[in-house]
Amino acid sequence: MDGHINWHSFYFLLFGLTACVFSVAVVLTGSIVRMAFYLTLCLGATAGLFFLAGAGFVGAMQLLIYVGGTLVLLIFGVMLTAQGPFVNMKTRAGEWVIGGAAGLMLLGLLLQAAFRVEEWRGPPEGVATATAENAPPGEIGIRMLGKPGDNGKAVGKESGYLLPFEIVSVHLLVVLIGSAYLARTKRRRRASDPAEST
Amino acid sequence: MDYLPTILGAAVLLPLISFVVIVLFGAAMRKAHVPTHYIATGAILGSFVLSFTAMCIWLSTHGIPEVHEHDAHGHGGHEEHAAGSHSAGADHLGESLAEGKLVEKGQDSQFIALTDDDHKEGGVGKDHASAAHGPDYVADDWYTISPPGIPKMSIGYHIDTLTIVMFVMVTFIASCIHFYAGGYMHEELHDVTDHEVTLSDGKHLRRPGRFHRFFQYLSLFCFSMLGLVIAGNVLMVFVFWELVGVCSYFLIGFYIERKSASTAANKAFIMNRVGDFGMLIGLAALWASFGTFSFGDVDGQPGLFSLIRPAENQHQMTTKDGLVQVGGASTEGESGDDTTDANASNPASFSYGLLIVAGLGIFCGCVGKSAQFPLQTWLPDAMEGPTPVSALVHSATMVAAGVYLVGRFYPVFTPEVLLIIAYVGGITLFMAATIAIVATDIKRVLAFSTVSQLGYMMLALGMGGWIAGLFHLITHAFFKSLLFMCSGSVIHACHTNEMPQMGGLRKKMPWTAYTMLVGCLAIAGAGIPFLIGFSGYYSKDAIIAQAISFTDANPSHKILFFVAAGGAAITAFYMFRLWFLTFSGKPRDQHVYDHAHESPKVMYVPLVVLAVLAVAVGWSIPWGTDADSGNHKELGVTALLETARPAGTADGAGTGVNFDVTYPAEAASHAEEIHVMATLVAFGTAMAGFLLAFVMYGLQRISAEDAAKQFAPVYGFFRNKWYFDELYHILFFKPTHFVSKLVAKFDRRAIDWVVNGTAKVARKVSDTGDAIIDKGLVDGLVNLTAGWIYSVANWFRNVQTGKLRQYVLFIVLGTVVLFVLIEYSSFLNAGH
Amino acid sequence: MNLLTDPVGASHFMAVGAVMFVCGVVCMATKRNGLGILMGIELVINGANLNFVAFGSEFLRRNPDYALGVDGQLIALFVIVLAAAEAAVALAIALNYYNNRATIDVDRADELKG
Repeated sequence: MDGHINWHSFYFLLFGLTACVFSVAVVLTGSIVRMAFYLTLCLGATAGLFFLAGAGFVGAMQLLIYVGGTLVLLIFGVMLTAQGPFVNMKTRAGEWVIGGAAGLMLLGLLLQAAFRVEEWRGPPEGVATATAENAPPGEIGIRMLGKPGDNGKAVGKESGYLLPFEIVSVHLLVVLIGSAYLARTKRRRRASDPAEST
Repeated sequence: MDYLPTILGAAVLLPLISFVVIVLFGAAMRKAHVPTHYIATGAILGSFVLSFTAMCIWLSTHGIPEVHEHDAHGHGGHEEHAAGSHSAGADHLGESLAEGKLVEKGQDSQFIALTDDDHKEGGVGKDHASAAHGPDYVADDWYTISPPGIPKMSIGYHIDTLTIVMFVMVTFIASCIHFYAGGYMHEELHDVTDHEVTLSDGKHLRRPGRFHRFFQYLSLFCFSMLGLVIAGNVLMVFVFWELVGVCSYFLIGFYIERKSASTAANKAFIMNRVGDFGMLIGLAALWASFGTFSFGDVDGQPGLFSLIRPAENQHQMTTKDGLVQVGGASTEGESGDDTTDANASNPASFSYGLLIVAGLGIFCGCVGKSAQFPLQTWLPDAMEGPTPVSALVHSATMVAAGVYLVGRFYPVFTPEVLLIIAYVGGITLFMAATIAIVATDIKRVLAFSTVSQLGYMMLALGMGGWIAGLFHLITHAFFKSLLFMCSGSVIHACHTNEMPQMGGLRKKMPWTAYTMLVGCLAIAGAGIPFLIGFSGYYSKDAIIAQAISFTDANPSHKILFFVAAGGAAITAFYMFRLWFLTFSGKPRDQHVYDHAHESPKVMYVPLVVLAVLAVAVGWSIPWGTDADSGNHKELGVTALLETARPAGTADGAGTGVNFDVTYPAEAASHAEEIHVMATLVAFGTAMAGFLLAFVMYGLQRISAEDAAKQFAPVYGFFRNKWYFDELYHILFFKPTHFVSKLVAKFDRRAIDWVVNGTAKVARKVSDTGDAIIDKGLVDGLVNLTAGWIYSVANWFRNVQTGKLRQYVLFIVLGTVVLFVLIEYSSFLNAGH
Repeated sequence: MNLLTDPVGASHFMAVGAVMFVCGVVCMATKRNGLGILMGIELVINGANLNFVAFGSEFLRRNPDYALGVDGQLIALFVIVLAAAEAAVALAIALNYYNNRATIDVDRADELKG
């Protein structure tokens, strides 16, 4: 220990603690509006952790799709349903205790798993800092479209992610149609004939 | 060195002198209004000064203990012991000093290097890969009677660093308590009206104050405890052991007119007798096998420790030829030669079973005295005594005696016995902790906490953590006496024990509140991980590290680790529950709150002194580096205890013959890997407990009453102390009662026997028997069981709710259980 | 073991991920609001994602040859996309539920009770 502050670790601590604190805050707060706000901050901090782990592209996507898209969707949902009694819904004490106890057990299990393997504790020998070197987005795109890895490690084992990519795109299409359908039926029922919905 | 026994002997005798003086002149002094507690306090203070001097003498002659830079990986394999059983005895014997009094045995190349210059020359231990070592000690007899034909009986001493550390701890805490008691018991100076005792004419009892009597018992108690610690042989231990028991009887039953107090005193005494019965058997087994009582070597005659773990056998456990032979063990392998020690490395061949019996018997005594499962029920009831008594008896001395004896007898225990000790400790720890969660009497919470912490120590000792267990004993003594005295201060101010009537007292009695907070933090093991912490932080870490190290070696006993970790969380929870209920929030009973006041100075100054020590007693102070070996020196409880470690136990207690258990070296638990894990586990669990208590009782975000209602069956189960009293009632009281009733009836009808003939009486007896057994006992048991099962099943019915969120919860619990099972079974498979 | 001066490893990322995961689970187990449960799911997904990314990096473990490499990031991307899809559908369901029952309390939906 030479006493120099390792800035990578420092930023990890900063983002990690932010993520942890706000995820705990999501659990502890009672108001759904505050939950949505804390969740935004938590996911933003997670994007920061992605950058620190050398996954710049994923971090950017996290910010764009997740924080920018998915969460906005959620907040829409909150706004549409946040009426008087539903903003703060109390949970019974016993459920807090059971939930908390189960969560703590799970946390203990996961933390034990995380710290059990010595190999995962730090960077390779000789590397003083876990310097983050972002993989170029181009490589990610190429891998996604089917070219095998050219860094010599994964060659031969698999040949890219073309098939999953296709499946995901079809899946997205299905989801789009499905959610549009769900939204549509509800409007029809309410508008035309409420008695019909048995 | 030569003064050491004299000094400590004087420290033992001072309280006895005080006792005698108060017995003779106490009543006269009361009439003359001379405060008797000056005598008792002066005596115990003198003992403390003498003990402290003894420690300084020891340190100056033996040097500050050095700390070995551990290397856990290359340490301690049992293969090495088996291989290295060739004799090195001649070398070791040559080491003995000519003085006769001072017998020093062996030395250690791996863990501690003794600093005596005499030892530097030999260097024998360094030749052996697994050189065992013995601690420095001074042992001799003051007085001996040896009638012909039976082994000698003597009053002797056995002084090593364990003795000295215990002396300093006991005398210091006892001094604080004497000061405190001087303030607490002041109303006993005059005539007392006891409002809890109503006479037959409807008035309250009025009796003369018993101030002097209290201090006379206190002095006798200190004398007995110190005698127990200094005792040099088992017989003397037993004598003082009983003295401690009888003193606790006097002190618990101090308010003898109260029914609850006198029954509690009886209960404590009887429960202890149950344990002592086992202890007597153990002593008889030891005496019959070895023919000596003394621990160490006295006047050239080997003591128990060197007979069981002779130097010729690398201080590994051995059994003597010619003892009772265990059936089925093969001696043909040794082809009938007349060796005694050469083949002794095969422990199954000789009276191994007898050793197990001896170990179990002695542990039985410790179970009674330290209130372990299943004899734990006396300790909470013993809270009927005055609070200074609770602080003295139930934190630093009497209950500590059991743990101390386990530590002292550690070399005698076989791995099987140690495993049983570990499980008994684990059960006690968990059970008492769960009861402490729901107790509302402030002293009972502390009492159950004490039982639970004693379970911790037994668990640590049973898992091979000799240092860890005894270290926790020392640190626990400080913060638990602090907590008891704080609670006494609260009771003194509020005149009630019930926490639901307190609340908000922080503003009224700040000294008590904040010293108690220190105590709570210390017992919860608060600290900044890897940096510094309260004393409990170090000792609890050591125990959890030992648990990890032990369960790594014995995956089939993984449950012990979970118990240790879970216990830490529960400890933090109930301690902060106590603090928040008592001191924070709004006053729940305005009347009590208005009458509350801070205690007088004589009571809170000892609190502050103890609080400082509760923080600092766990610290190890670096003391430079040894010039020769380059090892670091440290001044601290662990380093001191390390120099008293019994011979041959540094590499672990060996492998069980009858059970599948292997003891790793205790040093293995200092490995970075385990240490980091232990610190994280200890900190995480304590934090979890604290947060839960904070949310429930500090912020009151979660309503405690609501939770109690929802868990009503479990809550009731804990509230009723796991129904142990009821169980004993059914198991022992009812049958006895039944039998005695039957006998009484038989007596009454003995005359009718002649008159009415046999048949009628027989029918009558069988009729009453049928009614009582079937309707009373069997039906009662069955109904009890059925009722219990019904309520449990009823509770389980709630599981099927159809609620989304609970199903999520079941998934989580299922995952956790699955992982634990997989880990457990994979370790089991790997083990075979 | 000083967090400020020692480099961090995959374990530390996993620890943060574990906290988020557990918070998500507890959120799902304790919130009565349907949208609260959705947020819990988002937390769980993110906690898992963090592990993928951490194992992808070659600088967070002793032997870089075992790292997942770009694959870890790719899986994380897929997870993000699928989470978006999941959120859309779940939100549609939640709104439908709300419109049909005029409440968002999931405890009311106990038709599964046995």
